[in-house]
Amino acid sequence: MIELSNVTKMYGKVIGVNDFTLTLQPGAYGLLGPNGSGKSTLLNLITGQLRPTQGTIRVMGESPRNNASLFRRMGYCPGGEGFYSDVSAYDWVKYLQQLQGMTAADADVAAGRSLELVGMSTAMHRPISSYSRGMRQRTKLAQALAHNPEILILDEPFSGLDPIGRHELTTVLLDWVDLGKSLLFASHVLHEIESLTQSFLLICGGRLLASGTAEDVHAMMVGLPNEIAFKCSDPHRLGELLLRERVVDSLRIVDATVTVATRDPARIYGQLPGWLKTSGIDVTEMHSADESLQALFNSLMKMHRGEL
Amino acid sequence: MIGNVGAVFLFEWKRSLTVPRMAWWLVLAGFPVFIIGLIRFSITAGDVNDAPPRELWIGFLFALVPMLVTMLGTMLWMTPAISAELERRSWVYLTVRPNGGTAVLLGKYLAAVTWVIPPVLLGLTCAVLIISPNAEEAEEIANARRHEPAQPFFINKHGQRQLAPSMAMRDLKPWQIWWAMARMVCLSAPAYAAVYLLLGTIMPRRGMVLAVGYSLLFELIISFVPAVINKLTVHHHLQALMLEWCELEIPPEFMSGAATLIGNSPTWHHIAILMLYPPILLAISVAVLRSSEFSSSAESDV
Repeated sequence: MIELSNVTKMYGKVIGVNDFTLTLQPGAYGLLGPNGSGKSTLLNLITGQLRPTQGTIRVMGESPRNNASLFRRMGYCPGGEGFYSDVSAYDWVKYLQQLQGMTAADADVAAGRSLELVGMSTAMHRPISSYSRGMRQRTKLAQALAHNPEILILDEPFSGLDPIGRHELTTVLLDWVDLGKSLLFASHVLHEIESLTQSFLLICGGRLLASGTAEDVHAMMVGLPNEIAFKCSDPHRLGELLLRERVVDSLRIVDATVTVATRDPARIYGQLPGWLKTSGIDVTEMHSADESLQALFNSLMKMHRGEL
Repeated sequence: MIGNVGAVFLFEWKRSLTVPRMAWWLVLAGFPVFIIGLIRFSITAGDVNDAPPRELWIGFLFALVPMLVTMLGTMLWMTPAISAELERRSWVYLTVRPNGGTAVLLGKYLAAVTWVIPPVLLGLTCAVLIISPNAEEAEEIANARRHEPAQPFFINKHGQRQLAPSMAMRDLKPWQIWWAMARMVCLSAPAYAAVYLLLGTIMPRRGMVLAVGYSLLFELIISFVPAVINKLTVHHHLQALMLEWCELEIPPEFMSGAATLIGNSPTWHHIAILMLYPPILLAISVAVLRSSEFSSSAESDV
């Protein structure tokens, strides 16, 4: 389905994508990487927006650059919002379907159907300027789905969606994948991709660091220190407590925040309420976010550089 | 492909039917009317014997209608054709469609040309009505005709020999001027739109600066340079058509200079060149576009 051979993209002296070689068979794939890792550049190359500085790209056997026949079979939802604020979602999606080659009547039907699919049927005749972020994301997805492409390429499509919106669009995409169509889904959030596919591509620093299933990714994460930050009433006592319990590899205290690196986060999450109750320490904030993922990327980068 | 261009054309037209755009439409139509009206009013209010001769009216109309207003209208529509989409971040949505970029360029081009010509022609019509003789002047003209061969010249307050206003008006032939100017607008709008589209495609981020620079340097200065380079300007060909279609008499003392500047090419030659401008420049614009790269993440030309 997608074939990249030693693809490098340079922006002047900055490397966007670095010697990327990859072959993807039809199916659903998650492109996972932190912000600035080169995901969008890679998608721009795959959709023919950019020309590789080196290497070759084939999508469904064809070069994507200025390829009209390929664009008929491809749906793309870019990361950025690119709306005409004074136009309704319906008019915009219809317009894009006409550009796709549909007649006005067919585009009418396709736009209505697609917007209904993403849950926008009630608001689709309102100007886009009146939409929430989530509604805009739904509209973006609708324009990519409307012409029923064979391959769907999505760049952070769940960004700005509330949990209900994420669930609804996940269902839409799962149904779509169940039809046997292909999907390439870029995100920096592991569980977003995990909810859609078990096949991952890990990208960082413009390089393909690893690929495999969700289990492979989790296996890679085992044994990597997980960083957790606590904001609390008595950071020194909390630090002392965590050290005494021997659950942290390292610890630092800045103002009221204790940041720990641990290989056993599950034990901390399980026992922390009890420890806090007995010690009387108040924890007001706790962050882990995707630090584990970042740790994974950092470790993989070190492996690539031969530092591990 | 034709369907795609048609879709862009209709979409752009629909989007142009907003209050700000319609206000701009009226400004385009009103500008030549305002300037010509001021000149006409100053004559009526002042000494009627200071009325400008026919050549000067034609000069004013030429500078305002097929030149200034048409240039301005097409420049403001066409130069930001791509940069507006890039700034709005909508470009990537259009270019992942079959021949999307090309359709956007051509559709916007057609929308711009068809949007600019009507207000310019409306302004021209009003301006010609303004310069046409009023009832009093018509009577003067009729009198002059009755007393032919009356003395068509008089000595003005500056002691110069001047054609009587009644005679000047008599020779004006307003609707001949209208027809000449209208044909020039229909040639200049597509040509200028293609020029500005190309400039906006070559350099989307600095397109407007480039377009203003081109207009000032090439269309207003180099077009008056008696050298081969002036033949590349739209202004040069329009000037030649104005002399021909408005039947302007060049005074003998200026004949050699005018011949150097305008050349001796036949009328069809100028028309053909102006008609060739759009397809050639549009083809170059499409070629430039297809070789350009625009990143959707930063939406900047890279």
